[in-house]
Amino acid sequence: MSTKNGFSRFVAGYGRLTLLMIPIGIAINFIGGQIAVLLKLPIYLDSIGTILVGALCGGIPGALVGGISNILNSITSPTNIPYAILSIIFGLLAGWFSRMGVFRSLWKTLLSSLAFAAVGGGLGAIITLILFGGLSAGGMGVIVGIVHAAGMDLNLANFLVAIPADVVDKVPTVLIVYVILKRMPKRLFAKLPLGSVYLQKTPKRGVVSEPSSIS
Amino acid sequence: MVWSVNRLQSVEAEAPPHTLSDRANRLIDYDFVDSFRRPATQNNWVRDFNPITLLLVLLSISIIAVAVPNLVAPLLACASYVVIAFLARVGKQFVLTYAKLFVVVGLLLFVLRALFIPGKHTLFALGTLKISAEGVTDGLRFALMIMALCGAVALYFALVPMKLLMGALEDRGVSPHATYVILASFQAIVDLSKNTTVVMEAQKSRGIETEGSILNRALAFLPVLTPVLLSSMSSTEERAMALDARAFNASGEHTHLVSLRKVPGSEIAVGCAALLAVLVSIVGRMLSWF
Amino acid sequence: MVLVSLQNVSFTYEYADLPALTNVSLELESGLVYGVVGLNSSGKSTLCSLIRGLIPAFHQGELSGTVTVLGKDLAEWEPADLSRSIGYVFQNPFTQISGIRDTVFEEIALGLENLGVERDEMIERVLEVVEQLGIESIIAKNPNDLSGGQRQKVAFAAIIAMDADFIVIDEPTSQLDPDASDAVFGIIRTLKEQGKSIILVEHKMDLLAEFADRLIVMHEGTVVLEGDVRTVLLSGVLDQVGVPRPEVTELARRLDAIGRPLDTMPITRAEAHEALSRQLMEESYVDHAH
Repeated sequence: MSTKNGFSRFVAGYGRLTLLMIPIGIAINFIGGQIAVLLKLPIYLDSIGTILVGALCGGIPGALVGGISNILNSITSPTNIPYAILSIIFGLLAGWFSRMGVFRSLWKTLLSSLAFAAVGGGLGAIITLILFGGLSAGGMGVIVGIVHAAGMDLNLANFLVAIPADVVDKVPTVLIVYVILKRMPKRLFAKLPLGSVYLQKTPKRGVVSEPSSIS
Repeated sequence: MVWSVNRLQSVEAEAPPHTLSDRANRLIDYDFVDSFRRPATQNNWVRDFNPITLLLVLLSISIIAVAVPNLVAPLLACASYVVIAFLARVGKQFVLTYAKLFVVVGLLLFVLRALFIPGKHTLFALGTLKISAEGVTDGLRFALMIMALCGAVALYFALVPMKLLMGALEDRGVSPHATYVILASFQAIVDLSKNTTVVMEAQKSRGIETEGSILNRALAFLPVLTPVLLSSMSSTEERAMALDARAFNASGEHTHLVSLRKVPGSEIAVGCAALLAVLVSIVGRMLSWF
Repeated sequence: MVLVSLQNVSFTYEYADLPALTNVSLELESGLVYGVVGLNSSGKSTLCSLIRGLIPAFHQGELSGTVTVLGKDLAEWEPADLSRSIGYVFQNPFTQISGIRDTVFEEIALGLENLGVERDEMIERVLEVVEQLGIESIIAKNPNDLSGGQRQKVAFAAIIAMDADFIVIDEPTSQLDPDASDAVFGIIRTLKEQGKSIILVEHKMDLLAEFADRLIVMHEGTVVLEGDVRTVLLSGVLDQVGVPRPEVTELARRLDAIGRPLDTMPITRAEAHEALSRQLMEESYVDHAH
């Protein structure tokens, strides 16, 4: 494929489907939160797309999904920009875990949520401490403030609030990723860079698996 | 008129190519069509600045607001955004958005810091909380700095439509594949949102409960999310083929229907002035001029 | 001129057990409309994907045999360059809209931008196509707000504007209502009149009988018959593969079965009309004679 631009050549290495999975991953990040609001559930779920694309296409596409989602989000809440690094790391981690087959087993997937939460909560708390003096503009900032006023050290308060909050967020996230990966059609895996991880080696019997969208 | 080599069949020499039938001429909005022959304009001297120049200017203002100590700089920065917004005739919406940000973000940050950061001169006490003068000034400064940064972002996206920003980037050599990802994301969000409400209604009619106890609502999550996600991922295959049919992956130069005007000297001057101001403020901060 | 030539081509999708195409040999001439019929999973879409070069570049699997497209072996084609020479219209109107352009006009121009066509020529070609398809009134609308039928028209417009002489059309009306389907077939009629080479996969036999010059009948991955449209429709092949005849032909067969045959076997409505008229006139003569 003769493409001249560096980005194009880089993308070409991932196959044609990856480029289209990235916008879908970004949109999935957004609607996770939307569904949570519709169902009045108190969670964010804004990283489903990041981890899903990371699992299917690799760490860098996943990181791109995370980073770009964050930037787009910051149009309406600009104080989220510093936390983009977290989303990027989620994507990279997802790619790495996926290659190791973590998302093929339920208990390994659940364990991975702890890794994600450690980054999200731990690194997130560090960013909050450095950039916002430990008091971020949001519900968590208020909670931290109250806890701190009650006597706890600010640093400790941040970690103690952020990490559990992130666990509550990441466990459903990775579960959803696991379920989706289990239900995806095989022919889609065949076109994705990390799809081979999820394909059973024995092909299905007796079916010509043409793209179902066309007869 | 020179036609592309693809046209193996020659056009019969009837009317010149741009003369369509009367019916077509009546129905077509030629103002709209002809607008593509000229550089894109938003009919406002501020918004017609090149997106990159605007980026430079707003970024500079926000950097200056942070670099220069005390309250004056960030206050002036926030005020300047409002002024620019009105000059660009997006004043009303911007002020509304900015005001919301001030309350939700700025006020909250200020209160948090004023309440919880200790200091020597206590102004008054609220129970066990001691509110100090240092806390208040620190809170004000911090909140204003953050608002200066937020304002720049909010203003930028109020001034520059995404498609013109992507056009400006492509003019500077950014790959159309990259701009595709950004633009497609916006549309994907809209499409997926619509799909979500549709699926939610469908599942409701199938008996999935979306009200009631938190357990009920939590259990409704997967039946709503899974079909939406699966269908959106399956459609990527067809989308990839459809884009390929539009020569998206073809080699060679891309041309553009929508063009941006050539950057006039005055704009370049404004950009340089902004950069200079940033330099001065950073150096000044380091050398403690202020 | 030979458009496409397949010699002993077999193909199995990567994760399928059975082949999608077995030992297919075809020679397609340019300037004709080829209809492709067969049940689902008979290999129609695989054939289209192959001709268009999506196999093996996009859909991976085992491909054997020789495929020559426009005089060049498929393996020698740069996959992306095939999009310059062969147009492709799909059945889903929703996935063919790129999602990165705000107006129908720009959407149609997207393919031309990717081909590097100059702006003035781009505008002329888009206007021409707009008139040809009768979509003047929607050129300023957002393609994402259009109905399925309108989107399919826009998809056609976008491909036709790219002015390839060879277009593959895969079940364009399967997701459309009857009015929109008629409109699409009107488009295909115009393309045929312009002398384009078309491969059309369709289930609507009546319409295929109107437009196709030749038919390719497929069954379980093999080409059962390829020939002149009348010959194929009147042969017994369709029964063997389970594909229905055009309504009028079926009507004539049943008349034949009850001993009241028409003088010719019609395949289109027009022919049926004439044959019936002749028959009825003859019968009325007979009656009058008594």
